[in-house]
Amino acid sequence: MKKNKNIIVIILAVALSFLLPSFVKNYYWLGIFNLLLIYSILCLSLNLIFGFTGLLSVGHAAFYGIGAYTTAILLTRCHFPFFPSLILSGLIAVFFGFFLSMSTSRVRGDYFTVITIVFGEIFRLIMQNWVNFSGGAMGVVGIPAPQFFSWRIISEKDFYFLGLILFWFTYITLSLLVKSKFGRAFIAIREDELAASTMGINTVMYKILSFSIGCFYAGLAGSYYAVYNTAIAPSSFTLDESCLMIIMVVLGGIGNLSATIPGVIVMLVATEVFRPLYHYRLLLIGLIMVIVLVRYPYGILGIFNKIASMRKKYSYRKV
Amino acid sequence: MFTEVFIVGLSLGAIYALIAIGYSMVYGILKLMNFAHGDVYAFGSFICYMLLVEYNLNPILSIIIAMLVGGLLASIVEILAYRPLRGLEYRNISMISALGVAYIIQNTSENFWSRQVHFFPSIISTPFISIFGIQVPTTQYLTLGIVILVVVGLNLFLKYHKVGKAILCASQDIPASSLMGIPINRTISIVYLLGGMLGVIGGVLYASSYNVLSISMGFSGTIVAFEASVFGGIGSINGALLGALILGLLHSLVGFYISTAYRDVITFAILIIVLLVRPKGILGRYVEEKV
Repeated sequence: MKKNKNIIVIILAVALSFLLPSFVKNYYWLGIFNLLLIYSILCLSLNLIFGFTGLLSVGHAAFYGIGAYTTAILLTRCHFPFFPSLILSGLIAVFFGFFLSMSTSRVRGDYFTVITIVFGEIFRLIMQNWVNFSGGAMGVVGIPAPQFFSWRIISEKDFYFLGLILFWFTYITLSLLVKSKFGRAFIAIREDELAASTMGINTVMYKILSFSIGCFYAGLAGSYYAVYNTAIAPSSFTLDESCLMIIMVVLGGIGNLSATIPGVIVMLVATEVFRPLYHYRLLLIGLIMVIVLVRYPYGILGIFNKIASMRKKYSYRKV
Repeated sequence: MFTEVFIVGLSLGAIYALIAIGYSMVYGILKLMNFAHGDVYAFGSFICYMLLVEYNLNPILSIIIAMLVGGLLASIVEILAYRPLRGLEYRNISMISALGVAYIIQNTSENFWSRQVHFFPSIISTPFISIFGIQVPTTQYLTLGIVILVVVGLNLFLKYHKVGKAILCASQDIPASSLMGIPINRTISIVYLLGGMLGVIGGVLYASSYNVLSISMGFSGTIVAFEASVFGGIGSINGALLGALILGLLHSLVGFYISTAYRDVITFAILIIVLLVRPKGILGRYVEEKV
């Protein structure tokens, strides 16, 4: 019964999201929705790595950037069609993610975090300095509009549909994944790695798997960003960007896919609302983060849970 | 030329050490990566700059005031943003809170002093000194001297003073040491105070030996503190010192002989290799894992 209800809710949400452009004609709002979709894909995949498997990766923007640069270079220099380069972007991100997580699989906890930070910085610095390959600090410009058979994706609305397809693909595949045997293994690793390994879970393999899968989606998001923005530069893939993704995941609630999206919405809306107060934007965002976390350490989801528990007199369920 | 580059690198490493030691001490007790550490020391250095340039205060006095401000800021941040999150299962959450604090401090100092690079006056008047025919700025020697003093003093403090011993106890086991009657909250605040003060000395020394000061120093300082303490073995003071010296040498040697653009890439790559070969850092202790 509950399963059927979930499926109905998802189908309704999919239908509603595809009908949205017929109500919202304003390009400003559609642009924000597109941004929302990009960050949702990124944060969902980061939630798999960080929220479910417990690997705090502060280098997610690097994989996003790897995807973006792959698509940008394939489209501008090799005149590749868009669809293969989208897949290839994901796969190249997976390649780097696999390489990184395999070589660091013996390194534990915080050292892993440091390595991801360092990896992100290395990526950004190489892209900034290797002018012949990546265009240096100017980046790659003039990325052509993608084309699917006869569907030429050029307007804000077309990009919204493309992003939506990628988003639902990410959301549905990830929700199936975390409910499977793999998802349970990831959660076991997050809760206690040593205990998980004594239960017969191959922790090294599952950590590599989780990280690489997460990187695949980040690569897809990067590819989408490259064609959407038509120009990319290393300044879009900085450490700040990785931090922003982590903030979104934590604000939403770690270890819960659906809660990620409210987290993304809150942060993006905060960024937009505080745009007139440009000089105090980061200050206000920082304040929101600290206050929300100190009051509700388990994110926005924690607030809902608290309300639910007050209503039903249930005990506070930790996520 | 090599000797000059070596000495410059050593004193750069000494400055890094001041920034990294406070960071590493916090990690040793709370296992918390303090993302706000760099911004606290940048804030303190700006206070020093303001007192020196705008109010023409005595350098020693302004450094002391800046140190106090930095230390107090660090402990206030601890009380407001980290303490409520301390008992949580996922200590990663307090890292995110630290990130929020970093944004707040960065933005505040940006509004006070703008993002541009400021000229920071040299504290010492004689610019160059020649020892055995090696021409090196005096500040470099002074920096080395100050760092040696601070590290020796800190080691003695931790070994013989009551509060220092309490810090060492807390870094081994918080619940057990609180059962032994050690005031944990106060001890942790003192660690933050010390860390902030040391960081401000490091920031002021850096600014006065290179004559520059900017907001972006905060974030790069955090990264440097990460790197240095991981190199040496996070959580140990002497490890942070060793790691910082190695990092300073690497920065100046690679920057001089290979390329400035790829300086960070090369040091990061070396850091990754060190971590893969020796995951606990050079002086890190191996802690047996328990369920």
